[in-house]
Amino acid sequence: MDYQIQLDIFQGPLDLLLHLIEKDEIDIYNIPIALITEKYLEYLQTIQMLNLETVGDFLVMAATLMQIKAKLLLPQSQSAATTEADAAEEDPRWELAQKLIEYKKIKEATRSLITLESEQLQIYPRSGGEFADQKLAPEADPIKNLSIWDLMEAFKAIIESQFTKDFDTIPKQEVSVKQRMNEILALIQNEGRVYFKQVFAEIRSKIGLITCFLAVLELIRLKQIVVFQEALFSDIRLSLPEKVMNTQ
Amino acid sequence: MNLTMARAVIEALIFASSEPIQLKTIAEIVEINEHTVKQLLGDLMADYQHAKKGIQIIEVANGYQFYTHPECSPYLEKLQKTPRNVGLSPAAIETLAIVAYKQPIAKAEIEALRGVSVESSIATLVDKNLIEEAGRKEAPGRPILYRTTKQFLRYFGLNHLDELPKIPDWVGVGTGELEFTVKTEVNKNARIS
Repeated sequence: MDYQIQLDIFQGPLDLLLHLIEKDEIDIYNIPIALITEKYLEYLQTIQMLNLETVGDFLVMAATLMQIKAKLLLPQSQSAATTEADAAEEDPRWELAQKLIEYKKIKEATRSLITLESEQLQIYPRSGGEFADQKLAPEADPIKNLSIWDLMEAFKAIIESQFTKDFDTIPKQEVSVKQRMNEILALIQNEGRVYFKQVFAEIRSKIGLITCFLAVLELIRLKQIVVFQEALFSDIRLSLPEKVMNTQ
Repeated sequence: MNLTMARAVIEALIFASSEPIQLKTIAEIVEINEHTVKQLLGDLMADYQHAKKGIQIIEVANGYQFYTHPECSPYLEKLQKTPRNVGLSPAAIETLAIVAYKQPIAKAEIEALRGVSVESSIATLVDKNLIEEAGRKEAPGRPILYRTTKQFLRYFGLNHLDELPKIPDWVGVGTGELEFTVKTEVNKNARIS
């Protein structure tokens, strides 16, 4: 992964060029294009071998450098070089120098912003900032990590296990969803947390199980309880909303 | 309302605000002129400084807000469930620096300055509400212009844009000035090396 770090150092072709220039203590205003182009291409080769995505921008710069090199080789027109300013504008390196100087300032500005940022990351606003967001945000998702299928799966498992048990007679029970909800809520309030299986433990009739299941769903919908599954296929835990937040 | 009470009220107002509260707003609520409010605020801020409290009042984004003391930050980090955002990426912050100093500016102009595509940096910065669209440039294609937001000021603890660290000779590089700029730059190089 070394190359990743190396690439991160240079934020683009100008950054790399500036680095090469500063390393060799070259006068920006008088860049030895042949030398720089050579060094630049050398570096580019390394990048090219490693990460194709970032190469595009660097290639444009390589082309620019070679264009400048070509222009420098061409004989200068006579009309030019009458005044110093004209000479400067005639110099194909002029534009590049200008860009590099601008880029140096951007780097300076970037450094100032990084300093300000790191200072600011040391202090936390009373509210409204990231800190507040992170700590208070849990608008407790009542069915964290759970889908309806998980609940149905759990319900199916209970039906299967319950009906393999031996029992004598099934007393007719007429329990409403509402009643069952209150019972479940009371159970959770007493125990603190209750597992899905526990809620169904004593129920013997199919209608009773359905009622109970509906009661659990209704409690979730009303956000009176929250359900949580620690791991895949582990028993689903039911608890009161604030209990969940405390235990995390 | 006497001044002691007013001071307490100002403290309460800053405490209760989720955003930096402006001097003007405080003055209106407390019904005291802005000059006096500013003095009371100065007192209050000095109090927190001198008492070596874990919190302080800071003037930011043209308002006042409670912040924790920097020395407490290692402990606050322990309190956090998820590690705090470690800051912007080098590419994003370089793009942001250009927007901050050259705003309003179009994407293509930023790309010319950085020499790389800035599409994703712009998206990140807009997403974090550090920059926003500021109309369109009257140029071919009418490109979108970007500027920094109030959140930008808060993020960097600045009051106004003119508090940005000064970068010498930056703005307005005309042909006449350029030579001068270049020369200072060269001199500076000489000194560094």
